[in-house]
Amino acid sequence: MNRRVVITGAGVVSSIGVGVDEFWRHCLQAKSVVVPIPENWKRYADLHSQIWSPLPDINPDYLGVTRTERLQLDPVSVLAIGAAREAFERAGFNLVPNAASSRVFSIAGVDASRIGLYLGTGIGGVHTLLHSHTHHLYQRARATVKDYSENRAPTQNREMLDGVLALMAHGPRYHPFQVSMLMSNASSAAVAIKFSITGPNVTYCVACASGTVAIGNAYRAVRDGCIDIAISGGCEHLDDEHGSIFRSYDIAGTLVRDCADPEAANRPFDEKRSGFLFSQGGAAVLILEDLEHAQRRGATIMAELIGFAETFDAHSMMSLAPGGEQIERMLRAALADAGVGAHDVDYINAHGTGTKNNDEAEAEIIDRVFGKSVRVNSTKSLLGHTIGASGAIEILVTALSLRDQITHISKNLDAPLRDLNFVRAAGQFDLRVALSQSFAFGGHNAAVVLRRYS
Amino acid sequence: MDTDVQQRVLKAIAEVLERNEEEIRLDASLRDDLAFDSLKQMTLFILLEDEFQRTMPPESLMGIVTVKDIIDFIDRKLQEPAPT
Repeated sequence: MNRRVVITGAGVVSSIGVGVDEFWRHCLQAKSVVVPIPENWKRYADLHSQIWSPLPDINPDYLGVTRTERLQLDPVSVLAIGAAREAFERAGFNLVPNAASSRVFSIAGVDASRIGLYLGTGIGGVHTLLHSHTHHLYQRARATVKDYSENRAPTQNREMLDGVLALMAHGPRYHPFQVSMLMSNASSAAVAIKFSITGPNVTYCVACASGTVAIGNAYRAVRDGCIDIAISGGCEHLDDEHGSIFRSYDIAGTLVRDCADPEAANRPFDEKRSGFLFSQGGAAVLILEDLEHAQRRGATIMAELIGFAETFDAHSMMSLAPGGEQIERMLRAALADAGVGAHDVDYINAHGTGTKNNDEAEAEIIDRVFGKSVRVNSTKSLLGHTIGASGAIEILVTALSLRDQITHISKNLDAPLRDLNFVRAAGQFDLRVALSQSFAFGGHNAAVVLRRYS
Repeated sequence: MDTDVQQRVLKAIAEVLERNEEEIRLDASLRDDLAFDSLKQMTLFILLEDEFQRTMPPESLMGIVTVKDIIDFIDRKLQEPAPT
């Protein structure tokens, strides 16, 4: 069975917009949110990078998440539920509460066993892990130091001890739902529980390619007739009180170093790029649907998915393999799966992180496989890097670009590192076939090919 | 018994059980009448922590049988100094 697979709904939560309309409008305006990292993080380490892209304050009620759910879920799962709910509503599905006061819903008129859930995340509930771990480490030690400081310490030592106590700050408790909050599959499970989805439920943990691999495998499941509808995307929430997650990317030398002008610091594919902008996270969820199923219910179609491939470098945990042999093999396999040639591709949403090595290698591979005429941009030039959510967000951007025949600029690209057709000015384009690609720590490469629906 | 506390506890119980507050009787046994299992009890206590901004460790559950026991427990808890 080889069915046509279309995107009929989408939802997104990001630093530049919550909801597809706001997000896309801000993409086309080349909006970014870049602010200094929290002062508190600097008390724990000397950090090279000094900026990040935080999420806006989002009321969980707005995302359709109740207090009972919020208190039992890591923020990454709250983001995923919010994006999924918007995707269902945009796809025209009627969400019906399972009972009068129920916080869970069913999708009216659809066989829930024919819906699959394919979600990617790079690190899952790491926020919860670190939050509880800080309590685990410090609660008793801090109480001992506090008692000593207040009752027995010489007066001249009090100020120093107060400083130590401040560094040992921790949350009020070790969370009783720690395991089910931090496990990598928690977001996939939380979304499926929220919407009573009983088909296949899979979590893809392949770092920066998680969202792309999740959507690619969801596409295959619908195409091959295993399911009729796939809820698919990526989610990430990389934030902790002490800046430890930020530090892990900073110490690896991956984050933007030249932060003197925060607005201009994040510049993928530019000669002056110095690393990627760390994002607090985000989520994007797409509804993939069998074309005939979508047509029967009169759904509005955003774009069509026509190909997917993935390969592995088997070279290094953190560096692209020299020559990009496995990336090229992946791209040619994705094109073959889509039944199109490289010359048919009008637009590439690049991985485009802004690191020295990625952008140089990626630009060289694009030139080699697609040539110089294909339009190229980097959504990370707006958002920074959302790790496990990035691939899904970028596939959403690719689908919206095909729908509207317009795409966003690659921001801060003043001196391109290679003579490619980078999108540097907004405008109407003739986009028929597009590709979104992701490369991940570990060595994972993946791309999804999309086509304008007509 | 503080009626404000009572109302907020009933609301929290109703949230956990996904039922209406009016259906929750004060003398109802959490386990026998309201079908609270250990997971639901933990859920209720993290909701009460959030509602009243007090830490309630798992051992707090000892001796609590009815809805009224919880309200009394919260009343006592609120007499303690607020956490800094």
